[in-house]
Amino acid sequence: MVDEVGTGETVVRLDGVRKEYGETVALDGLSLEIRAGEAVAVMGPSGCGKSTLLNMIAGLDRPSGGTVLVHGENVGELNEKGLALYRRRRIGMIFQFFNLVDDLSALDNVALAAQLTGSPARQARRRALELFEELGIADRRNAYPAVLSGGERQRVAVARALMNRPALLLADEPTGALDSRAGEQVMDLLLDLNQIGQTLVLVTHDEHLARRCASRLVQVADGRVTGEHSLEPSA
Amino acid sequence: MRAVWRAARAAVRRRGLQTLVIWLVALVSTGSIVVALGLVDAATAPFDRVFGKQRGPHVVAAFDRNKVSDDRLTRAAERSGTAAVAGPFPQATMEIPRGAGDFGLGGEVTVVGRPGPGGPVDRVDLWAGRWPTRPGEMVLNRQSDWTADDLGKQFRVPSGPTLTIVGFAFDLSDTADVWVAPDQIEALHPTGTQMLFRFRDASSENRLRAQLAEVTAGLPKGTLAGAQTYLSLKHRVGSNARAYAPYLMAFGILGILVAVLIVANVVGGAVVSGFRHIGILKALGFTPGQVLTVYLVMISVPAVLGCALGTLAGNLLAQPFFRFVFTGPNSGVLRDSVGIAPWVNVLALLGMPFVCVLAALGPSMRARAMPAARAISTGSAPRTGRALGVQRRLAGARLPRSVSLGAGLPFARPARSALTLAAVVLGVTTVTFATGLAATMTGLGTAGTHAYDVTVYVGSHRHGKEVRPVHSDREIQSLLGSLPGATRVTARSDDDAVLVGSTQRVMFEGRRGDLPLDSVLARGRWMHRTGEVVAGSAFLRRNGVHVGDHLRLRKGGREVDLTVVGETMLDNDRLIAGAWPTAVALMPDVKPIAYHVKLGDGVDQERYARAVRAADPGLSPQLRGPNNITRTIVGSATALTLALALIASLGVFNTAVLNTHDRRRDLGMLKSIGMTPRQVTVMTVTSMAVLGALGSVLGIPLGIAAYELVIPRMTGAIDIALPSYMTDVWHAPELALLALAGLVIAVLGAFVPARRAARLTVAEVLRSE
Repeated sequence: MVDEVGTGETVVRLDGVRKEYGETVALDGLSLEIRAGEAVAVMGPSGCGKSTLLNMIAGLDRPSGGTVLVHGENVGELNEKGLALYRRRRIGMIFQFFNLVDDLSALDNVALAAQLTGSPARQARRRALELFEELGIADRRNAYPAVLSGGERQRVAVARALMNRPALLLADEPTGALDSRAGEQVMDLLLDLNQIGQTLVLVTHDEHLARRCASRLVQVADGRVTGEHSLEPSA
Repeated sequence: MRAVWRAARAAVRRRGLQTLVIWLVALVSTGSIVVALGLVDAATAPFDRVFGKQRGPHVVAAFDRNKVSDDRLTRAAERSGTAAVAGPFPQATMEIPRGAGDFGLGGEVTVVGRPGPGGPVDRVDLWAGRWPTRPGEMVLNRQSDWTADDLGKQFRVPSGPTLTIVGFAFDLSDTADVWVAPDQIEALHPTGTQMLFRFRDASSENRLRAQLAEVTAGLPKGTLAGAQTYLSLKHRVGSNARAYAPYLMAFGILGILVAVLIVANVVGGAVVSGFRHIGILKALGFTPGQVLTVYLVMISVPAVLGCALGTLAGNLLAQPFFRFVFTGPNSGVLRDSVGIAPWVNVLALLGMPFVCVLAALGPSMRARAMPAARAISTGSAPRTGRALGVQRRLAGARLPRSVSLGAGLPFARPARSALTLAAVVLGVTTVTFATGLAATMTGLGTAGTHAYDVTVYVGSHRHGKEVRPVHSDREIQSLLGSLPGATRVTARSDDDAVLVGSTQRVMFEGRRGDLPLDSVLARGRWMHRTGEVVAGSAFLRRNGVHVGDHLRLRKGGREVDLTVVGETMLDNDRLIAGAWPTAVALMPDVKPIAYHVKLGDGVDQERYARAVRAADPGLSPQLRGPNNITRTIVGSATALTLALALIASLGVFNTAVLNTHDRRRDLGMLKSIGMTPRQVTVMTVTSMAVLGALGSVLGIPLGIAAYELVIPRMTGAIDIALPSYMTDVWHAPELALLALAGLVIAVLGAFVPARRAARLTVAEVLRSE
């Protein structure tokens, strides 16, 4: 399902990353390394900078200082087009509120990610359908986001994130907007993905999710890494 | 109330771009409406205003003095029940030789003996000096924008008395060229009696003629020598302004429609996109009425400011047009009396804000009635998709995905897209109409411009004195032809003559040479033989004459028969032109007043003019300039078109801003999955370009229809017939270019919001959502 990356190889390296929004310091010299095949959970109190950290890795925002290297590429030095291509090729992103296009069917929402790279519609839909089958939502492919349940929407979002076979899957509170049953399903899905080699970075408040899916826990406070330790998946 | 005002002020500040768009749209729309309506009003109102002020006569009648006495005329007028009468005034005709005076008089002039400028009818405007009270004094009919320097100068009537100019008066109705005291007129041998009538029903030519017939019913046959109604005067005086009226009316209607549509779209969109804000206000404890007030204030402040400034700008912009529109006979007094009518300003100042408030009221009322929770969720909750079939087909289309996504966007907001489309359609209609108009007017303006380059007038003025040429007529023509650069020379004479069978005086233009001068032949052929003439469409229409018909002209007791062989595109209803032998047959001592010189290619006109002045100081060369009326129509049409296209573009701009605002979350997501800034720009521009392309498809036929409606009315107003090559303006290349008009309007309007959308910071958008 995903591109194989040699296990143990450093995929992400953040070195002294700072991010300021006016007077507010969101990241204050944060450093972190993530290796291929890892599932890293980033936890911390609200406003500690964990979502900002994820945005830096995803190339959704630029650091004010320090370097963000992903596969050796300095994300902070890319121009807007370079960032877009970087996101397209290397990153899959899952959001708390799914962020699906209401006017497109579930299948077209997923196919969209491939079509942006220039893939023909037919080929993109075929690949999207494969993902729908793998994620168990093939029967919902023609439904529109408004009629899908929360869990189904998040599965569609995961399918979209996987569409271009990203090296890195980033999830920002992926179960935050779901009920417990749907949350469990998404957790299982992420765990499965990691077990087949997908590198995963999760930002979450949910310790249960972190323990269930992640192999390493990174604690962030006041824009810095304040602690990290390995986790045993709870299964 | 303070909370309401504070919330409204905060909303205006917070939504800076929206406020700016509302202000700008209100400003440009109001300005355009003021200019368009002001000019439409000015095209018809000034004559009535001045005519009413002077209590101008509905009919000016001349009676044969030998057949009816003054007393009998007075009794006839009283019996017939006319509304008001002035006269009888003795009327004489003087033949003034050319060059005998330099007071604007020449040829045959009408002199009336009248005791004063006032009275129940025809209160002439004595603007300089005084009225003549004794023999030897006269007042000249002259517009007040002329000079009064000639006051006190004397003029000797050939084989008559010497008269001193004691005043200048202006009479719009042109009842006389010269007025003298009643004691003086007998010395000028009056042959007629002038009566000036105002009738109760002045609505039509027929009604006026019928009422005049009642007056003359009891008088001996043949008593009435001639009569002219004010309607023909009005037709002649206002012809230029009337020519502008249909085109200004078309622009006015288009301008109002575009402005109202855009204002409705902008204002309605502002309210709809603020639903979440409305919910928050309600949650804070604002009553529905207060919410409504906040929104109306939020919309009204920029709208009212825009309307006020737009009205001011419209008044300033309209002034240059008046200077051009009111040219021609007696236009000076009309030009002085026109301005933007108060009703136009009142309408703009009250009507446009009313339209804005009305547009805001519908969505505001919806917001007022909406529960707080729903209003809040309207701004953020996932909504049911729209136009899903279209989106599905586009998703599978063989188009770049950014293009197919953009093409589907207009269907997601059908009402907003429909209003925007309507504005683009009207924008394209305007551009199409203006393009056709400009092509025709350019054709009209350049018609015959290659016939000659320099006009050399006989006589010049140096240090206030007239200088006559040292050469004779024939010597001048050969001199002008021998100067370096000249290729052909045609002499032209202009003389008054009488059209036998009517009281109408015509201007006979004699031409010696083969240049067609500046007239364009609409029908028939040019004159070749003695007795053949061509006349303008206006002349033929006024006199009911057709090509092939015969006329008889009288001049100084000599009569000649003429055949009309061609119709020219002249709007002068008094002019006919013939070859030189015809002019000589009518006036054996005819002399040219000007020579038209065609220069060789690349010859410097200024240099030729200097050579003419050096060769004979009594000649005044004048270089051919551009056609001002054409330039004004093309210029004003271009300006109005640009204004309307700008408004339509602002409408597109507003829609693109609202759409990108509504879709910030989608844009953030699309960028997060790898949509490049260029793809975002392409998507946003495409969404409006679809409306632009559709706007072109619908707008071009409407523009052509507007052209077909307006052009015949414009040319009809000034009595000219256009040759078909001037109205055959729609060809494939032009239509292909026009098809781009809608796209240009849409792309111009969408580009800035598209670039803004492309620059959105994804993290910021997704966080705020």
